[in-house]
Amino acid sequence: MVNEYFQLIHYGGSFYYYIFELANFCFLAFFAIIVYKLNYINSNSLLVWVGLFFTPLLFNYFLIIPEMYGDQFEYAGEIMSLKSTGESIPTIEHTTGFASSVFNYFPHPITFTSLVLGTVPLPNYMTVTSLAFANKLFIFGTFLWFKNFFQDENKVLLCFLIPSLILYSSLSLRDTLIIILSSFFLLNLLRGKYVFAGLLLYPIFILKIQMFAIFSLYFIGRLLFRAHKSYLMIGIFAATMLVVGLVIEEDVLMVMNTYRLAFSAEDFDLGGGTFSYAGWAMYGSELGETLKVHSIPEAIYIAVLRLPEFLLMPMPWNWTNFFYPIQALESYLLIYLYYKLASRRQLYKNREFALLTFMLFIGLLMYSLIMANEGTFVRYRFTLFYPFLLALFYLAYSKLEIKQS
Amino acid sequence: MSFLKKYNIVEKFKIIKQFFDDHALKKSSLHAVGISLIASLIVIQFSIPQFYVSATLREAQTAGDQRNIGGGELGRIFKSDAGSNVYDQFRSNMHSYVLAQRMWNQGWGSKIFGNGTMDEEYFNTIPKNHTIGQKAGAFLLGYDLFEYYSAHDLQAFIKAKARPTKEVKATNIVVYVMDQNKDFAIDFLNAVILETDRYAKEHLIIKSKEIIAETYKQLATSRNSSITSALADTINSEFYKIASLENDLPYHIYFIDPPHSSEYPVTPKVSSIIFSNIIIFLFLSIAYSFIQKNKEDLW
Repeated sequence: MVNEYFQLIHYGGSFYYYIFELANFCFLAFFAIIVYKLNYINSNSLLVWVGLFFTPLLFNYFLIIPEMYGDQFEYAGEIMSLKSTGESIPTIEHTTGFASSVFNYFPHPITFTSLVLGTVPLPNYMTVTSLAFANKLFIFGTFLWFKNFFQDENKVLLCFLIPSLILYSSLSLRDTLIIILSSFFLLNLLRGKYVFAGLLLYPIFILKIQMFAIFSLYFIGRLLFRAHKSYLMIGIFAATMLVVGLVIEEDVLMVMNTYRLAFSAEDFDLGGGTFSYAGWAMYGSELGETLKVHSIPEAIYIAVLRLPEFLLMPMPWNWTNFFYPIQALESYLLIYLYYKLASRRQLYKNREFALLTFMLFIGLLMYSLIMANEGTFVRYRFTLFYPFLLALFYLAYSKLEIKQS
Repeated sequence: MSFLKKYNIVEKFKIIKQFFDDHALKKSSLHAVGISLIASLIVIQFSIPQFYVSATLREAQTAGDQRNIGGGELGRIFKSDAGSNVYDQFRSNMHSYVLAQRMWNQGWGSKIFGNGTMDEEYFNTIPKNHTIGQKAGAFLLGYDLFEYYSAHDLQAFIKAKARPTKEVKATNIVVYVMDQNKDFAIDFLNAVILETDRYAKEHLIIKSKEIIAETYKQLATSRNSSITSALADTINSEFYKIASLENDLPYHIYFIDPPHSSEYPVTPKVSSIIFSNIIIFLFLSIAYSFIQKNKEDLW
């Protein structure tokens, strides 16, 4: 069932809302039971996943107001509009990033996300939360795929119980899809499946161009430079990146400055209702000049200086909602987990690990350079860090890797 | 065939069939469907069908230009989002207490909270019921509750009912109301929009008159011919503005599509309620049966 009047009726927190979304939960829980009966998962996984499938009902309207993650309305509106009329909602139609001739190949990220998530045959696409259930099914599918590489299913299950993953997969956002595609990409690359990994770059490009930039570098580094085979090649790869960066410095800086200013403008708040792009348009031009980076070495220097803050945020003095302390503790835990996994079987001596960590470092530097709004960048950091953590988990615990070592 | 063997499709199909035989294709499922239908009927019976009444408006003015913030692409992004402030002004006026007061004086309080009698004595004394929580709060904190409905209630009603929306990069404003009585909703929406605009116009007329009065004073003392000329221009333009405001046509906005109703109620969606309830109750029946038979394995 599709809500053709989505833009008019949000069913926000009403009795109808819970009826529609409970039906979606029941569908997923039933699917989990079938998977359990087919012996794909154990009883622990069944119970945990039924619990996880319930979480979308706990976030929107219950624990948080959906406007806190306001983009959800766009995703939900888009899927309902596409399913009922076949056309995008006006805001997306007005903002297609590419010329109309290539629009079909590079759809708007919201349209693409809605199309992909909309393939899940949920009973209802009626409210802002419906797509969150589709997200849940996709993340469950990832779990089923990922656990095949390991002997201990319970350990894998723990990887899917990270608070931010539960939160983002319980909302109608594209972050879950980015995490899934990124994880698929990294694992396929680690397994040497270049064609499949290369194909995955296409949806990643549509969904998150920043992630595409990092992954395409990783792809080139592994495929062309064979940087996962020796430290020397990692060094050559890094030097080449730097040289190419310096040759096309102007273009690189233009892109970086655009993102730096755009995120700063989004986060701009002078108080008294003067905020975001509108506020920036009136008062932010001078500030914009001070934010501009003028050379690659300067960009690296600023990024390195801001990296600790990016890794540890949200800082205690910026905690404005109850998610922030949880996310702060989680960020410390994830860094510790990365360290623990790296020290397992002296993984830090592994060249594959070195390249993986190097690419993660590049990605973190890139984000710390353009970092502005805490909430947004906590989300971005997680979507970057988590797939790398899964990849590291694969290196540390997978059946194949253990056998090879 | 090797595919079937590799994934053991036949075996898995048998397991699923067995699962359905054991937990789904049984009498309790039929009972669940029956109960779900009764539950749906109850929900539908208690639901109030609501019509969607909307009006599409276009801003008659646009705000001044925005300063350039540098960078071609970036500039375009920010400029397009900055937009005009007519919508903000319109929305603020619509949800203001002043507007509620004006509408109250026109008798809208009576139409909404009373029997529709336009007698001022009547609609200022429509008795108001209070919840136990409100009464307890008033008793504990020591303040009096309003005995009658007032413009405050009308303001809350307008805020809850009349919702203006504007897409980020669009120029149209859509104002909508959802109500079970479509005729009332059309009249109400029309009145709210026109009164909002009228209020904005009156504010501008007062402002223009003040400017004229002050400019006359300046004109009387001015000795410089170019300043005198500029002041005279100001007075002319303010008089022109007053002339353009003192008519019945909308000023800030104009109607592209006047208030109109959906043909049928847009909520509740009966088929979705029935379908969802069937799924919920059927799942509960299957889950109960499944847990009963697999208690030992699960715990």
